[in-house]
Amino acid sequence: MSYVLAKSKDEEIHKAGECGGAVTSIFKYLLDEGLVDGVLALRPCDDVYDGVPTLITNSEDLIGTAGSYHCAPTMVGDLIQKYLIDKKIAVSVKPCDIRSIDELIKRHKINPDNLYTIGLNCGGTVSPVSGRKMIDLFYEANPDDVISEEIDKGQFIIELADGSEEAVKIHDLEEKGYGRRNNCQRCDVKIPRKANLACGNWGAEDGWTFIEINDEKGQELIDGAKKAGILETKSPSDAAVEGRSKVENIMIKMAKKNQDATYPSVNGIDDWSRCISCYACRDICPICWCYENCELNKSYFDEKDIPPSPIAFQGVRLSHMSFSCCDCGQCDDVCPMDIPVSLIFDKLQKKYCNRTGYVAGVSTDSKPPLYSPDKVEL
Amino acid sequence: MSDDLKIVGLLCNWCCYGGADTAGTARMQYPPNVRIIRVMCSGRINPSMIFKAFDEGADGVFVGGCHIGDCHYDAGNYKWSRRSKIVEDILEEFGIEKERFRHEWISASEGEKFQTTMEEFHKTLTKLGPLELK
Repeated sequence: MSYVLAKSKDEEIHKAGECGGAVTSIFKYLLDEGLVDGVLALRPCDDVYDGVPTLITNSEDLIGTAGSYHCAPTMVGDLIQKYLIDKKIAVSVKPCDIRSIDELIKRHKINPDNLYTIGLNCGGTVSPVSGRKMIDLFYEANPDDVISEEIDKGQFIIELADGSEEAVKIHDLEEKGYGRRNNCQRCDVKIPRKANLACGNWGAEDGWTFIEINDEKGQELIDGAKKAGILETKSPSDAAVEGRSKVENIMIKMAKKNQDATYPSVNGIDDWSRCISCYACRDICPICWCYENCELNKSYFDEKDIPPSPIAFQGVRLSHMSFSCCDCGQCDDVCPMDIPVSLIFDKLQKKYCNRTGYVAGVSTDSKPPLYSPDKVEL
Repeated sequence: MSDDLKIVGLLCNWCCYGGADTAGTARMQYPPNVRIIRVMCSGRINPSMIFKAFDEGADGVFVGGCHIGDCHYDAGNYKWSRRSKIVEDILEEFGIEKERFRHEWISASEGEKFQTTMEEFHKTLTKLGPLELK
């Protein structure tokens, strides 16, 4: 593992991208050299609240993906597994994205050889709907005028078309029930160390991206992009490395505090009585990959009652994948009845971790201990 | 009405089922509340089966397997023992007392152990009363 500071040598990308546009340049290098068939990245559709995962095959279109989109809480794990399984692609990943990809690799559902993963350090994402409301309430700006947003030094910063900036402390926003999504507030994996590279602004000087090179593939990427003349690098000072780990530790400490506060001792079972059996939580889950073969649809299990019996519906799902839950919060987002589904799944994964030491998508075990053929008891 | 208690017993064919058989042929008395389902190995029992049993009205679920090291299929009971921990964790979340779910290693010769285990389990469930799922 080694650290490097990088920025783009391409004028246009440098201007459009966040922190010197290093990530976009690496994507450009991969596409131009023909190392990948496509790049899966977020591209804004209508506005900054509307980031859509898009497969880019022409490097000229990459410029549209530059910049950060905290208001687009997307998930790429299941997209790759469902639609891009036989393509060679590069993808930008948040920690929960790479955790889901890692779990799918362990289930032989994604081939790691086909994948370049460029990790992005993540302090959390904001739901687009509550994001708009939040800007309307706490900022003096009109949500439609925002051209970019950034999370830095504990503040949510928006930039308006006239170049002016406005910042509010995330802590204040979250006290009022806005700010980051609930699952992000309690997430304690902030740097995607399973990705080939982990990029971010923590510890970096202005206009540079701080990159942690996690493996050989990552090193090849940096060397290649440098050789192609699209990336400029230098080594970071000790103070920068220290600053970065300081930010990470503060983030993790904050998350742990939220974990204590948000896990109820006995889960609020009342929530389940609102369930309408729409299966959206199962369908969106990046770890659930059985689809037509799902146990919940088997004739001996198909729940006809609404609300379904919680133990038969969520119990089955919990026993199938809660130990691999990467707490991406997609199930919360899609639930039409606003049941905090991810809370119980994450709680169970934490319990499992206490028993086995296995953290979903982070531990280096070749598979979750439940699947292992080893002769060990817990 | 402790006689109405329903216990579902999932027993491994090679050991615990034999143990129940031994108890039976030796005319040992044990509570008749247990409905025995024979499975080929405790390692083939998945958590869904336990949840379905509780969902459909069981007041307690018992799982019997071979002693560690004696599995007919080498490591099935190790797999079950790991899985059982997850089942315990999940049941807790749904408000089902962990005493309602029990598993034990019983060999084919241990008819007496099967008898005493069933008596104990029945006693525990009588104390807890029928299960009321929300």
